Amino acid sequence: MIDALEWLQYVLAPQVINGASIGVAVVLMALGLTIIFGLLDVINMAHGEFYAIGAYAAVVLIGMGMPFWWALALTPVLMAVVGYITERSLIQRVFHSKDRHTLTLLLTFGLGIVLEDVLKIIFGANPLRIETPIGGAVEMLGLFFPNYRLFVMGLGTLIVAAVWILIFRTKIGAIVRAAAFDRHMTASLGVPVNKVYALTFALGVALAGIAGVLLAPIYSVFPTMGRDFVLIAFSVVIIGGMGSIKGAVIAGLLLTQIQSISSLYISPVWSDPLLFGCMVLVLMWRPQGLFGRLGHA
Amino acid sequence: MRESYLISISKKISAVQLLAILFFGLSCVFAIIAIVASDVFFLRLATEAMIFGGLALSVDLLLGITGLLPLGQALFFGFGAYASALILKNWTTSIWIVLLISTLFSALMGGLAGLIAIRSKGVYFALISFGLAQVVSKVVFNSRDLGASDGIIGVPNAEILPGLTSGDPAVFFSFTILFILFLYAGLNYLLATPYGRQLIAIKTNEHRVAFLGFNTWRYKLSAFVLAASIAGVSGALYPMLRGFVSPELMFFQVSGNAIINVIVGGTGTLIGPLYGSALLTGIRSVVGSFTPHHQLVIGVLFMAVVILLPRGIIGYLAPLLDSWRSRKRNAKIQEADHG
Repeated sequence: MIDALEWLQYVLAPQVINGASIGVAVVLMALGLTIIFGLLDVINMAHGEFYAIGAYAAVVLIGMGMPFWWALALTPVLMAVVGYITERSLIQRVFHSKDRHTLTLLLTFGLGIVLEDVLKIIFGANPLRIETPIGGAVEMLGLFFPNYRLFVMGLGTLIVAAVWILIFRTKIGAIVRAAAFDRHMTASLGVPVNKVYALTFALGVALAGIAGVLLAPIYSVFPTMGRDFVLIAFSVVIIGGMGSIKGAVIAGLLLTQIQSISSLYISPVWSDPLLFGCMVLVLMWRPQGLFGRLGHA
Repeated sequence: MRESYLISISKKISAVQLLAILFFGLSCVFAIIAIVASDVFFLRLATEAMIFGGLALSVDLLLGITGLLPLGQALFFGFGAYASALILKNWTTSIWIVLLISTLFSALMGGLAGLIAIRSKGVYFALISFGLAQVVSKVVFNSRDLGASDGIIGVPNAEILPGLTSGDPAVFFSFTILFILFLYAGLNYLLATPYGRQLIAIKTNEHRVAFLGFNTWRYKLSAFVLAASIAGVSGALYPMLRGFVSPELMFFQVSGNAIINVIVGGTGTLIGPLYGSALLTGIRSVVGSFTPHHQLVIGVLFMAVVILLPRGIIGYLAPLLDSWRSRKRNAKIQEADHG
C-alpha cells in the first residue's frame, strides 16, 4: 500500500505535472492551427517555425535587457503582426484559387523552409537557453511542483479560456464563426471578411508565439525546435477534429498525458509511434476527428 | 494538300511529349559529353537527380493525377533504399533481384500504409502520410539493427550485366536514365488506359466517380501502392550510387524536396517532375557550393512558383509551345491554300 502511494507521489504525479505543462503549450499550438484551419481552410505548415520565432523573439527581447515578463507580453503582439503580414502578403495571393487547400499548404510549407533557414542564418544552429524566470517549487500534499511549470499551466489555461470566450461569447467571435460558416453571406452583411481572415491568422500565429516563449525556459531554443512539436500539434488537431476548439483542448491534454505517462514504461523513442497509433485508431472510428469544426457545431 | 496537313496535325505529338523527348535527348547529350570529358562528379550528380526524379514521378502520380497530396513519400523511398542496401550487403549483388525484391516490399509497405492513409481525405490524407513517414523514420533512426542514425555504410556495387557494375558512373547513369525512361513511359501509357482515366476522374471529382458506380477507394489504394513501388524502386538505386543509406532518406526533407521538384516542374505532366528534379538538384549543388543556406533559395523559388506559376514550369511552357506550334501550322495551311 505504502509502495503504491509512494509510486503515485514520486513517480506518477511529477510525470502528470510535466505532461500537463507541456500539454497546455501543445493546446496553444493546436488551437492556433485549428482556428486557422476552421476559418481559412489553411493547413499552416509553417506553424512550427512561428513557434520557433516566438521563442527567438523572447531570446532577443531578453537579450536587449528586458525582463522575461515583458518579453512574454510583447512576443504575441509581434507575432500577430508577423501573422497579419504573412496572411495579407502571401496567403491572400493563392487564397482564391480553385485548389486552395493544396496551394496554401504548399505555400506555408515553403514559408517554413525559408523561415527556418533565416533563423539559422541569424542565430546559428546551436541551441540557446533562457533562464527560468521563476525558480523554486511549492510543496503540496508532500509533492513538489516546480513553480514555473505551474505558472505555464495557469497562464495557458487563462489564454485558452480567453480564446474560447473571444470566439464563442463576443461579437467578434460571432463574426469569425459566421465567416467560417458562410463566407459570402457574411461578406454581404457588410463584414470585411478579408480582414477577419487576416486577423484570425494573426491570432493563430500569436498563439504559436506564446507557446514558443512559454516553453523556451523549459526546452532550449534552436531553429528546428518546431519540427517535432508541430507534429504533436498536428496529431492533436487531427484527433480533435480539424477546426474544432473543444477538440484541440481535449485531445491536446489527453495526448500529452498519454505521452508522459507512457514514458514511464516505454522508451521515449516510442512516444511518437504511440501518438500516431492513437491517431490512426481515432480516425478508423471517426474519420473526421472527435469533434466538428468551427462554425459548424 | 490541306487534308494532309490536317492529318499531320492529328498525328502530331503534344507539347508535353515533345518536351519529354527533349528531356531524354538532352540527358543522352549530357551523358556523351560527360563520358568524353571523363567526368565523375556531374555524372553522379545527374544520376542522383534522376533517382530523385523517380521519387518525384511517384509524387506526381498521387498529386498531379490522383489528386492526393503525399507529404511522406520519402518513407517508401527510404524503405526501398534500406531494402536494397541490406540485400546488396547480405545476399546478392544482382541489380535485377534487388530491384524486383525492393519493388515487392515497397508495394507491400504501400499497401499497409495505404490501408491507413486512404481512409482519410484531402488534408487529412496529407497529414497522415506525413505522420506515417515521421514515425517510421524515427523507428529506423533508433533501431540498432539498421545502424541507427549512422545508417548502413559500405554497400557493395550492384551488377547490372556481367562486367558492368553501378560503380562505373557512366554505366550507372545510363542505366538510371533508361530505368527512369521506362518508369515514365509506363506511367504515360497507364494514363491512356481506362484505369488512368479513372484516376484523373477521381482527381477532378471523386463524388461523381463514386456515383457512377466505381469503387474510388480501390482505385486510390492501387494508385498509392503503385506510387509506393515507384518510390521504393527509385530508392533502391540510391545505395548503389552513394554506397550508403541513412535515416535522413526517410525524413520530411526528402518528401518535401520531392514535392518541390514536382510543383516547380509542373504537376500532372509527369515530365515536369523530372525537369524539376534535374533543375533543383542542380541549383542545390551549385548554390550549396557557395553557401550552406541553399534551402532559403529553394524555399523562395518554391514560394514564387506556387504564387506565380501554380502549374509549374512545364505546365506553363507546354500550352505556350502548343499555341506557338498551332499558329505556325495555321500559317503553313494558309500558305498552302493560297499556293
